[in-house]
Amino acid sequence: MNFSQPAGSGPLHRLPPAAKLAVLFALSVLVFALSSAFALGVIAALVLGTTLLFCRPALRQWLASWPLLLTIALVAGWTAFAKDPETGLVLLLRLSALSLFATTVTTTTTIGQFIETITALARPLERIGIGNAADIGLAIGLVIRFVPEVQTRYRAVIEAHRARGLKIRPATLLVPMIIGTLQGADDIANAIDARCIRPEHAKPN
Amino acid sequence: MDIFFDKAEARFGERVVLEPVSLRLTQRRIGIVGLNGSGKTTFSRMINGLVQPAAGRVLTNGCDTAKDGARVRAMVGYIFQNPANQIVLPLIRDDIALGLQSRRLGKAERDTAVMAALDRVGAAHLADRRAHELSGGEVQLAALASVLVTAPGIVIMDEPTNQLDLRNRNLVARTIGALAEDVIVISHDLPLLADFERVLLFHEGRLVHDGAADETLARYRALAT
Repeated sequence: MNFSQPAGSGPLHRLPPAAKLAVLFALSVLVFALSSAFALGVIAALVLGTTLLFCRPALRQWLASWPLLLTIALVAGWTAFAKDPETGLVLLLRLSALSLFATTVTTTTTIGQFIETITALARPLERIGIGNAADIGLAIGLVIRFVPEVQTRYRAVIEAHRARGLKIRPATLLVPMIIGTLQGADDIANAIDARCIRPEHAKPN
Repeated sequence: MDIFFDKAEARFGERVVLEPVSLRLTQRRIGIVGLNGSGKTTFSRMINGLVQPAAGRVLTNGCDTAKDGARVRAMVGYIFQNPANQIVLPLIRDDIALGLQSRRLGKAERDTAVMAALDRVGAAHLADRRAHELSGGEVQLAALASVLVTAPGIVIMDEPTNQLDLRNRNLVARTIGALAEDVIVISHDLPLLADFERVLLFHEGRLVHDGAADETLARYRALAT
């Protein structure tokens, strides 16, 4: 999925975020309810067509997220090998259509819109005493916000290894990434406190 | 502003990072100088309750920062040393609007407030830009707008001209000069503080001088050589 939030003004950008999330939810249910390769092929073609027509950057972004595509290919390949080719194809179409549509939704919706929509959707929960709607929206927004941050940190650590001629090992890669991400989270927490983004739950003194 | 430090001391664990300070700040423009690690940032964070006194107390406009932190933070806006760290959402318009979330304003009202805050710092053109695309000076202005939108009476800026080129430095300096709010600036950029009414000098966790800008800056220069 794309979290870099490109600006845009196409028809999909103008759709209310709640409608896009509702379609994504309905599509998730539908692709898992169907088991016909033909029907899933039609859905996948529709998703691809919609993306090509209205949001090509989403397709480029989806194709660039190779770890996701590789995982889908491996899972589908293994299923085809372990069970039968049709089941593998069903899995491939199901996950591909869903991930491409999710990429289109995130490409055409800003994090601010996500937070606003999820906060509004969570208001009924708040009314019955389960959680705080603004907190739920903010938490989901922050998770999305941190994805590119972790990607940037990963690239910086890899570059630092190369610049110093060091071999990349899991420990030397993960430790600075975890420390850096925790520091980033701490900075954001401080900023949220300092800017009174959630004043009613300010840090206990 | 009325900020009162009553023998307030700060510790990180067992280590004293700021020895007891007693003073009252009432001027509209206050500068803070000192070498790295001298306690400047800790002192400023105590004003808005981000750091709690280990002993003594700090009252900001009459509110005890230890007892009424949320209210204090609503009165005191804070811009961190690296303002990019305080921009929570990628799109500047969204990020500034986030500060208004708790007020549950309508969309039109919120958009108007966001644009008014950006206008105040001459940065309306940044509304639809993404934080990672901005220059250092623009990030400072966006962070300042995100603070001003909540209408604090006091703004604290930690090294606002740090790492800026001359053009951006001058832009930020002009913007600070034009602010109607009371301002506290921590800086190594001494010309920025030259016109301030009062400047505090910290050294090794102690307030060592408190006075007019020219004499405090002269003391700081002497200390640094």
